[in-house]
Amino acid sequence: MPVALAITILFWLSVAALAVGLARRAQLWRAGQPAPVARSGLLAVPKRYFVDLHHVVARDPFIAHAHVATAGGAVLALIVVALNYGFGIYSEFLDWGIVLAALVMLVGVFFVWQRRRHPPARLSRGAWDRLPYTLAAFAIGLLIANALPTQILSSAVAAIALLFLLVGSAELVLGIGVGAPMKHAVAGLLHLAFHPRPERFSGVRSTALKPLPLDGRELGVNAPADFHWNQLLSFDACVQCGKCEQSCPAFAAGQPLNPKKLIQDLVCGLSGTGDTAYAGSPYPGIAIGTHAGAPDKAIVPQLIEPQTLWSCTTCRACVEECPMLIEHVDAIVGIRRNLNLARGDVPGTAPDILANLRETATQGGSDNAARYNWAIDLDVQTAVPGKPVDLLLFAGEGAFDMRYQRTLRSLVKILKAAKVDFAVLGESECDTGDTARRLGDEATFQRLAKANIATLAGLDFKRIVTADPHVLHSLRNEYPAFGGNYSVVHHTALIDELMTPGKLPVLEFRNSRALTYHDPCYLGRYNGEFEAPRSVLRKLGVNVREMDRSGPRARCCGGGGGAPLTDIPGERRIPDMRMGDVRGAGAEIVAVACPQCTAMLEGVAGDRAEVLDIAELVASSLEARP
Amino acid sequence: MAAYPHIFTPIKLNQLTLPNRIYSTAHAEVYADAGGMPGDRYIRYYEEKAKGGLGMAICGGSSPVSIDVPQGSWKPVNLTTDRVIEPMARLADTVHHHGMKIMIQATHMGRRSAYAGDPWPHLVSPSGVREPVHRGNAKAIEIEEIRRIIADFAAAAKRVQASGFDGIEISAAHQQLIDQFWSPRSNMRTDEWGGSLANRMRFGVEVLQAVREAVGRDYCVGIRMCADEFHDDGLDHETLKEIAHAMSETGMIDFFSVIGSGADTHNSLANCMPPMALPPEPFVHLAAGIKSVVNVPVLHAQGIRDITQAERILANGMVDIVGMTRAHIADPHIMNKVREGREDQIRQCVGANYCIDRMYSGSDTLCVQNAATSREATMPHVIAPTKGKKRRVVVVGAGPAGLEAARVSRSRGHDVVLFERSGVVGGQINLAAKAPQREQMAGIVRWFDLETKRLGVDRRLGVEATAETILAEDPDIVVLATGGRSHVGQVEGWGAAEGLSVSAWDILSEKVQPAENVLVYDGISAHAGFGTADFLASRGCTVEIVTPDVKVGDDVGGTTFPIFYRRMYAQGIIPTPNFWLDRVYAEGNKKIAVLRNEYTDELEERAVDQVVIENGITPNTELYWSLKERSLNRGQTDIRSLYANEPQPALNEATDGDRFVLFRVGDCVSMHNIHAAIYDSLRLCKDF
Repeated sequence: MPVALAITILFWLSVAALAVGLARRAQLWRAGQPAPVARSGLLAVPKRYFVDLHHVVARDPFIAHAHVATAGGAVLALIVVALNYGFGIYSEFLDWGIVLAALVMLVGVFFVWQRRRHPPARLSRGAWDRLPYTLAAFAIGLLIANALPTQILSSAVAAIALLFLLVGSAELVLGIGVGAPMKHAVAGLLHLAFHPRPERFSGVRSTALKPLPLDGRELGVNAPADFHWNQLLSFDACVQCGKCEQSCPAFAAGQPLNPKKLIQDLVCGLSGTGDTAYAGSPYPGIAIGTHAGAPDKAIVPQLIEPQTLWSCTTCRACVEECPMLIEHVDAIVGIRRNLNLARGDVPGTAPDILANLRETATQGGSDNAARYNWAIDLDVQTAVPGKPVDLLLFAGEGAFDMRYQRTLRSLVKILKAAKVDFAVLGESECDTGDTARRLGDEATFQRLAKANIATLAGLDFKRIVTADPHVLHSLRNEYPAFGGNYSVVHHTALIDELMTPGKLPVLEFRNSRALTYHDPCYLGRYNGEFEAPRSVLRKLGVNVREMDRSGPRARCCGGGGGAPLTDIPGERRIPDMRMGDVRGAGAEIVAVACPQCTAMLEGVAGDRAEVLDIAELVASSLEARP
Repeated sequence: MAAYPHIFTPIKLNQLTLPNRIYSTAHAEVYADAGGMPGDRYIRYYEEKAKGGLGMAICGGSSPVSIDVPQGSWKPVNLTTDRVIEPMARLADTVHHHGMKIMIQATHMGRRSAYAGDPWPHLVSPSGVREPVHRGNAKAIEIEEIRRIIADFAAAAKRVQASGFDGIEISAAHQQLIDQFWSPRSNMRTDEWGGSLANRMRFGVEVLQAVREAVGRDYCVGIRMCADEFHDDGLDHETLKEIAHAMSETGMIDFFSVIGSGADTHNSLANCMPPMALPPEPFVHLAAGIKSVVNVPVLHAQGIRDITQAERILANGMVDIVGMTRAHIADPHIMNKVREGREDQIRQCVGANYCIDRMYSGSDTLCVQNAATSREATMPHVIAPTKGKKRRVVVVGAGPAGLEAARVSRSRGHDVVLFERSGVVGGQINLAAKAPQREQMAGIVRWFDLETKRLGVDRRLGVEATAETILAEDPDIVVLATGGRSHVGQVEGWGAAEGLSVSAWDILSEKVQPAENVLVYDGISAHAGFGTADFLASRGCTVEIVTPDVKVGDDVGGTTFPIFYRRMYAQGIIPTPNFWLDRVYAEGNKKIAVLRNEYTDELEERAVDQVVIENGITPNTELYWSLKERSLNRGQTDIRSLYANEPQPALNEATDGDRFVLFRVGDCVSMHNIHAAIYDSLRLCKDF
């Protein structure tokens, strides 16, 4: 049986090609820095694939089903081929298994072809466009070779079947070696095994940046080889689906950032190529084909322009959307760290703000002693060592902003109405360092974090409350790495807790205007808190008109990650787009829960919805006096 | 950075921390209950400022410590008795609840009073020199009286402290007893209380010693003083700096509250509460001068009406705390509005001095543009939306009465249509603002203009309303605020119909060009006639102003008429009081005005190029008569409900279909002033 033998030979040739390709690719990943990984991750791949990854993919049911059919059919077919032909069983019964698998695959491929006929703008074209054909060739080759009885399988037809199989197999196995689309299958599975944030697979929203050792060889990422090897591996997992591109606020604003292109550029960097083969949307305003990289060559600006990196708001919308669970924000901050710490090259007003932070521990260069001036007439106690309180109020930079002082004053009014035993941190409070860290100034962040941790260590409290999700994120998620472990609660969660009967004397909330709620990135995606603010609004009797993009998919206000400071020009402003979302929901009030969101949304010119913090809404419903 | 970093930086006065740098200075409210007790009205007035976010108020302008100070005319807080402690404590508790600090001004007025009133005292003064403004005949004070009054200061301070007040301000300003001792105008003594500066300061220093001893080291005690009397024979800036320095060196004083100008003549008094004619912050440099020689915070008010102005003054380091007193009479919620980024909604004081001019005529302090001030028990500063049904309100006329009616009705949540015949809102205020140095009257209109726009009043400007167009709006309520027109037709002989005389409106609106030699006849004696005369004189006319009243501008208040008089004499305007205008006739190209003396009936004639008549207004009632019979209430406002601050009974009637209720407010009923017009609308419309 010459056809069967040919398949056997082809199978083993393919296995060999795959092995060689993988070995070559692994060499590239090995250029990266060592990272502690558990081999056991390999065993966890099926669960991570079928549960965690598929959970993301399933948000787009069409392509999820198509992928299940295509990949499932292919994998099933390959297993049976391996059995039947690889090991020379040559059972006709198993052949029918292959036929069945190939048919399933063909159905999947049909839908892949459908999507590729009218692809959304986010999808990359180029090599990806040939996938329906090469995968169809593989399935059809299998069908012909296995479905037709040997008797009628003329040599011409057999040759055609083998040719199809050859084309299909080449697509499947050479990808990893030459960096073609099917690379994603191999790299993707290995990425799941050796993910830089394995805790994501145990249901944790892992969002804290990893501390940067300040005595390291290189401060942050200068060249691709400065990434950890498993980060390089993760870039290879990208399928260029463009979900990140679609969700990126900077891209939508026409700023020169496209997370997909960024990952692809890093792939170019690790493989030592240029971006000429890239067939997706460019960074807005930056032409394709003029940048190239190499593992040991600096990324900026040869491979990626600095304004691309400074456009990011660190909103994590891309990470939230990525079906391959790639960590774009870690990559961007990694490079920013190098630009900041090694090169001192930060645009806009960010250098001034960072200098302020270094010199005054405030972003505005304010007097730290003035941080709680807004509370002077509210009869609020300041925390002192030796005097226990239940709750410590950590105001953050918003304390210096007259607008946000209104939110803080409302919060104090609520805490007093609910008779909560609380104190403010007072002049010993330093900035948490959130902005510094996002801008790559890890040194300043660590110094501020240590100062705050030392202050907090001297105080006796049960919980910390803050109205600033950035403070919340720093204290709750990032300080533990430096020894600061606290129970931190966002004010919306605390208010929700207090709004139980008997605690907070809430009167009627008189409001006839339509209201929507804007999820702050650092509260929602970073801390998974989507419910508390909505619960508070429900308890006020407000029917929230949700925006199309809300909850985990909420669009950023543009205020995070120091983006308002680096201020990279685009065609539109992110907050204007977000206010457009508000308008789209028909809302006259947009409830917020973050000083950055408040400032960004209130900065929208012209007719716009009123911006009110959840605390302000609740405080306005309280009785004027107890 | 914060937009107002200096304003919102707290400051300590002794042990007291103020939350911000804006305060309201002591002023004579004329609100105290009988016997000088702060009652409900008094407390609510200060509570409103506290609710509005003000850092501190010093209340009780010129509150006397001794029983030989007559209290009838300005109804201060009576610090001479322990009975005052309880009501003062209520006041302190009330404002403390909102985070505001409160102090009171304590003083002995010396000669600065009129003896003719309870307790009919013999006023005391260092040398018995008469005070002109109050007709203050006084005797020369004796040593026993000095000792008694020093002890009175100490006793009063103890009462203030016992009431829970945050501090006390001793007044040595406006020529009260302490600065009567300082000033060579009033102190010619040759004993140890006069002569050298140290001797002249002795009384004040001993008062402070006694007060400090009474209240202890940690209690906040400040002094209010003038930084230049502006009298050649008075205290000049350098002398007052010497005094301030010496007082500061005693270590007994926690703050200096500094003003410019003496106050013992009509003309100097007008500087003290600078009216709109004076430039902004006219005396801040004097306060800064005092600040250069003292080592405690300096407070200063006088013509600082804008929050950015206050921030700039603080940023410049000229003073430490800014007083915005009239500003808070106009809008007690300034600080909250600033905090909330609602600066555009601040009802800014324009310096019309209606408040202080009322005080000098013995009436309670009211605001020309805010009818809720000091009526907090019945009139809301913040209009709450109605809980009843939404109505359709048509207001006709966008003068002050109509604007307030539209504002209040709209704030209640109703649909409001505002018709105004002319293309702009403001009514007669726009004319008032044409007079020289009265331009800031337009500020009243500016706020109403912004507010009615912000609130979404459907403003139909340049549209003359008729009964038909009003009814076409299908109103539930019609409020007529159609104002009036110049009342030059009152006396046929004036010849207005024949063009022998023109109205003040014609001149101010520049409908008629001024002629060379003009006679202004002012039958009203308020701001309009004088403003018209000033308007003409400032355009080069030769002007005589004639009035049957006892003096020209007789009904212009005590801090405003001096401004007119300065301009009158400077421009050579001839004042002719006590004459009526009987008739005007033409002779050649001249107009002959026939004047008749009120007291002798003697006739005089003036040959002039133009006769301009200010005789107030006669109401525009045409629209009223055409709607009255069709309305449910026949146009009647139920005054029993109105004066009791209760809703109009007619509002209970069903107003569906063609049925509507009809009210009138302001000048279209009878001639009133701006405050009265606004009050008319507020008290009526707050219950819509």
